[in-house]
Amino acid sequence: MIDRLSFRAALLAALLSLAGCASGPGGGIYVPVGGEPAKAPEPPRTSTDTEESEAPVWRKSEQPEAAQEPGEPSRSSSPSYRETGDGLSPAALSLVREAEQLLAQGNVSGAIARLERVQRIAPRSAEVYFKLSEAYVAGNQLGSAEQFTLKGLSLAGSDIRLQRAGWLLLADIRRARGNVAGADQAEARAAAL
Amino acid sequence: MFRLCAIGLVLLAGWMVYLDAVVTSRFEGRRFEVPSRVYARPLELFDGASVSASALERELSLSGFRKGGGEKAGSYQRSGNRFVISTRGFSFPDGDEPRRRISLSVSGDRVQGFSVIQGESAPIVRLEPAQIGGIYPAHKEDRVLVQLDEVPALLPTTLMAVEDRNFYDHFGIAPLSIGRAMLANIQAGRIVQGGSTLTQQLVKNFFLTREQTLVRKANEALMSVLLELHYEKNDILETYLNEVYLGQAGTRSIHGFGLASQFYFGESLKDLDVHQIALLVGMVKGPSYYNPRRHPERATERRNLVISEMEEAGLIEPGRAARARGLPLGVSERPSYSENRYPAYIDLVRRHLARDYKEEDLRSEGLRIFTTLNPAIQYAAEYAVTETLPRLAGGQSSEALEATLVVTAKDSGEVLALVGGRDPQFAGFNRALDANRPIGSLIKPFIYLSALQEPERYTLSTPVLDKSFTLEFDDGKRWQPKNYDGEERGEVPLHKALSRSYNLPAVRVGLDIGVDVVRETLTAFGVDTPISRYPSMLLGSVSMSPVTVAQIYQGLATSGFNTPLRTIREVTDAGGEALSRYSLEVEQVADPAAVHLVQYAMQETMQEGTGRSAYYTVPQELTLAGKTGTTDDGRDSWFAGFSGDLLAVAWVGRDDNGPTSLTGASGALPVWSRFMAQVPQHGFSPVVPDGVNYHWVNSERQALTDEYCDNARLLPYIAGSEPTQTISCSGNLERRIRGWFEGLFQ
Repeated sequence: MIDRLSFRAALLAALLSLAGCASGPGGGIYVPVGGEPAKAPEPPRTSTDTEESEAPVWRKSEQPEAAQEPGEPSRSSSPSYRETGDGLSPAALSLVREAEQLLAQGNVSGAIARLERVQRIAPRSAEVYFKLSEAYVAGNQLGSAEQFTLKGLSLAGSDIRLQRAGWLLLADIRRARGNVAGADQAEARAAAL
Repeated sequence: MFRLCAIGLVLLAGWMVYLDAVVTSRFEGRRFEVPSRVYARPLELFDGASVSASALERELSLSGFRKGGGEKAGSYQRSGNRFVISTRGFSFPDGDEPRRRISLSVSGDRVQGFSVIQGESAPIVRLEPAQIGGIYPAHKEDRVLVQLDEVPALLPTTLMAVEDRNFYDHFGIAPLSIGRAMLANIQAGRIVQGGSTLTQQLVKNFFLTREQTLVRKANEALMSVLLELHYEKNDILETYLNEVYLGQAGTRSIHGFGLASQFYFGESLKDLDVHQIALLVGMVKGPSYYNPRRHPERATERRNLVISEMEEAGLIEPGRAARARGLPLGVSERPSYSENRYPAYIDLVRRHLARDYKEEDLRSEGLRIFTTLNPAIQYAAEYAVTETLPRLAGGQSSEALEATLVVTAKDSGEVLALVGGRDPQFAGFNRALDANRPIGSLIKPFIYLSALQEPERYTLSTPVLDKSFTLEFDDGKRWQPKNYDGEERGEVPLHKALSRSYNLPAVRVGLDIGVDVVRETLTAFGVDTPISRYPSMLLGSVSMSPVTVAQIYQGLATSGFNTPLRTIREVTDAGGEALSRYSLEVEQVADPAAVHLVQYAMQETMQEGTGRSAYYTVPQELTLAGKTGTTDDGRDSWFAGFSGDLLAVAWVGRDDNGPTSLTGASGALPVWSRFMAQVPQHGFSPVVPDGVNYHWVNSERQALTDEYCDNARLLPYIAGSEPTQTISCSGNLERRIRGWFEGLFQ
């Protein structure tokens, strides 16, 4: 069972490496202190459109000055949310690669230490939690692996590929832990995507 | 006479046996108690890292970097927002960070153009962490152990040239030097020269008191001979290098050249130059008299004398000696860390350590403790408390007001900063850990979360009744909760009741869902003390410390994942071997969909509700979520909230639990928002969980509506719980047209 799990984890690893490369650095919601003119906040979205720059009317900077007053209704209907988590920056990716090498050498705790560094610099990226899950699978700590998979899923949002990878990984981990019903459920979620 | 001599000899022999035991037992055993060193988290530098130029400079200074050309290891150059930094390299528990020279600029509080210009290339580099404290032996001796083979050769040779020229030839004492010294002293009429060998000096420091008596002198001589009999010269020399007293930092005494080098120059012993070695060797004679920070002229004079001795002994060439004499002392302005800089934080670290380590091991084994303290965040937190508190007092004396601030990394549970009171340097009562105070309305998100986990009964637009009522208990006592403003509003949608912190709806919902269910939610989120079963708990009569509040809000800030708060990442032994790792742990304790709805209302709190005054201080663009809390008569003013990166909990109140004129919004919130306004960070923008859909609704009328209608609001619903009724608005052509154009450009 663990072998199959490792296989799936490895498959996921390959997939995530690609995902990381494709998504590039995230952070459209970064707000620096002073200095540069502030960027517009993440707009709320009603569709799954992920092109940040294409919602000009929501830019706070384009709204009248009066809207800056706290408590003005202009902010009222716009609590912030987004459809997916962040991607991995090149710095984070380089650490993920180091972790992969350590994992390949059987150094599970070394890999976890690297991945925790990634988690600190990219805490909103689903990939890093899936990677941690993979490392915990390799260390046969399936309870932790399951929780990290769930955490990764909470950041996968509308990214179907990430969601499917996460649900399949979760199914395998649950099956390895003897939770057949939970595994079936997770597999069904993956299939429904 | 013979008999007397014999008795004397026997007594002397017995005394020698005793002294021998004393000498060997100390030398055979562990010679030194080495304190544990506590490190801050290392700063990670890479393209996109968020740090301001001033914070980076402060961080460099805290880690003992010197401003300069940026070429020598441990120095940096700053021109405007451009930095060139030469790192010293550091041995981390998970691997070595080699020496590198890096270049970067800071733009808009972000690192840009990061590159390694010398050394192994890497897209991300860790600076060596600042040492933020130590856990010292009872006698407060501090030292960094060095081995003879890692010491620059010039140090022991200079030491011998100045203190004991015949070290390798004598047998512990040098009668000739004693005679010479006596002669010199008689000629001068005062003590100008000491005749002690290095071995005698070591014995004196190691085994004896400082008093000048003949008996002590005799013992010193005997023990020195015994030491030489048993041990190699190099062994004695190495012990001397680590033992010698070289200064004082508060109550902490600086022993050995290893620590002295860090203490005076902020550099490792192996990197010292001739003039620096000369200064340290010169200080052996009188560390406080020749203290280079206090008495720079004396110290310079002494140093130059030593340099001349080095030259005379042929250790350095005359040209080099002349150059060295011409150099400034090169002492760092202040020690690379001062004792007790972060007492509240170190207190929490010690409590965490106490779970796994014995106090005596922490004091003596030279452990290295890698913590999660972020000095830049701590700086901002201390500033926020000390700057805001005096302004809060209003009419009353501000002296009595106290405050705490706990800051954690939202997704990792790492405690980044801790302020335990109005004077952050005061190492006394740690309010962040030990002040258990009623949390007031901070409990409300947990009440509504308990309710929203039943989507068939509660959604964000469910109308809840803001109307007074009386509870009568079996013992005949009556309880009549009230709103803070005393008003009643009839039916209000749930999201509004939470964001405006109305009491009556909260109690009604709590009673409806069940006090026990709310208690279970709190326990799941990390409350580990008994929680009251009385309905008054629904208005926050439950007492918690600020750190516990941070723990339970962690789950609200993420999608319902508990993350144990941590102050320690790793502990290693003195040689760098890992002893314990405290890993990141996550555990899902609530339905992410329900948590998302609560997060919505907590964002609304900041934008329209009780937290909105935060945006007087915080940039409008930084999306925040939070909750105020106030207890009776303003005895406790709380604010707990988060951005995309940070979770912070502020408390303001009085130690004597006396009343204040403050509410959560007027006391703790100003502290909280002043902190948030200073730190570059990401706004809070949660990922919509599976099974949650956003709809435009008229929440007052619980009906789906169109985006451009009046009172339209985009609200999240757990799938299947959204309103079924639809109302449309007629008219408002202008908004319709705007809606139409929005569609065109999307």
